[in-house]
Amino acid sequence: MNSLLEQIHLLAPLALGIIAVWMLLPREGARPWILASLCGLSAVLWLTKNFLPPAEDWVQTGMFYAFAAGAVLSGVMMITESNPVYAALWFAMVTLSVCGLFLINAAPFLAAATVVVYAGAIVVTFLFVIMLAQQGGATGYDRKAFQPTLASIAGFMLLACLLFTLQEWGGKAVVVEGEEPKTPRPQFVLPPAHMVTNPLSHPMPRSDRPDQNDLGTLQGVGRSLFGDYLFAVELAGTVLLIATIGAIALSPRRSQGTL
Amino acid sequence: MTAQLESQLVVGAILFVLGAIGFLTRRNLILMMLSAELMLHGVAVNLTAFGRYHGNASGQVFTIFVLTIAACEAGLSLALILGLYQRRKSLDVHLWGNLGEPNLPQMSVDDGMRMEPQHPQGMPVLTPAGAMPTSASAAASNKI
Repeated sequence: MNSLLEQIHLLAPLALGIIAVWMLLPREGARPWILASLCGLSAVLWLTKNFLPPAEDWVQTGMFYAFAAGAVLSGVMMITESNPVYAALWFAMVTLSVCGLFLINAAPFLAAATVVVYAGAIVVTFLFVIMLAQQGGATGYDRKAFQPTLASIAGFMLLACLLFTLQEWGGKAVVVEGEEPKTPRPQFVLPPAHMVTNPLSHPMPRSDRPDQNDLGTLQGVGRSLFGDYLFAVELAGTVLLIATIGAIALSPRRSQGTL
Repeated sequence: MTAQLESQLVVGAILFVLGAIGFLTRRNLILMMLSAELMLHGVAVNLTAFGRYHGNASGQVFTIFVLTIAACEAGLSLALILGLYQRRKSLDVHLWGNLGEPNLPQMSVDDGMRMEPQHPQGMPVLTPAGAMPTSASAAASNKI
């Protein structure tokens, strides 16, 4: 029980956020919008206080806050929207916010490719299918979620486990016995001493010369894609071909009657 | 440069869990597939954050593969959904709940209620042919 109480600053905002999602999930009758949004906003602010990125550059930090908040809030709106057309549009908003996060992560090519593939192709195709199959807007099965309580509890457990692991990993890294922690907040980026021997958790030696550090350029991505992962690229092409053939074979024929 | 890793991992985890909740609760087939794509987004944020932390392009390359698989999945799932819609004229996933084993309990739409397993429609109902043989009669038949 004490160990649970120690994690109250992690568990309480998670519980608030999950309760907000649970209140917003489609159900019969009115949903408490105001209470749920208050719960959700307080949960987001509380979590932000715990997992605050250290203020280095206010432009980057502000961009990160904007895109992260956009992604999370649009995701909540997507899974709680009863009209499937609006849910698909909220998913497009999630995609755009995630592309902003890609930009922060020095992946401009990936951001452009994701906008083209997701917002340009996948969301539009989903919208086509919704328009074909369900022209009347929200139907009865959209207005009532399936087992919202059980799913909320499962999501709470999963998220609590993930964030607790993150916190423990970073918290044990800096705080050494009998020594003042260097930073007031534990840093995640320094792995614990017994983990350093893991070859997978080593940062690559990064050169400071700008002509050798090709992270984020199209050249670096292309060299890694067609150099290190050429076999995987061929496999991915084969998977795309097989999926195309499968989709053509599975799709309903006109002779069987159209929609 | 690498200080935002933990925050990005938190955002990825939240997106993943939101997608999982959506996949479990929504009953529309299309929205279930969109929730699966939301989970893929969370994974992609994780991959690029670690790629920047390690200073190489592997995270971005993995994300490109995730994009590929997501495109395959969207095409196949939409073909399947259209085929399913043609049969039942509805996108409700619970119309296909009888694809499982018939003797398993099915979770109903309401909270905490369990429906009795229903006999699948259109299947012949066999009358029971007699009492189950007990072990004594089985032993007797073995002797004969």
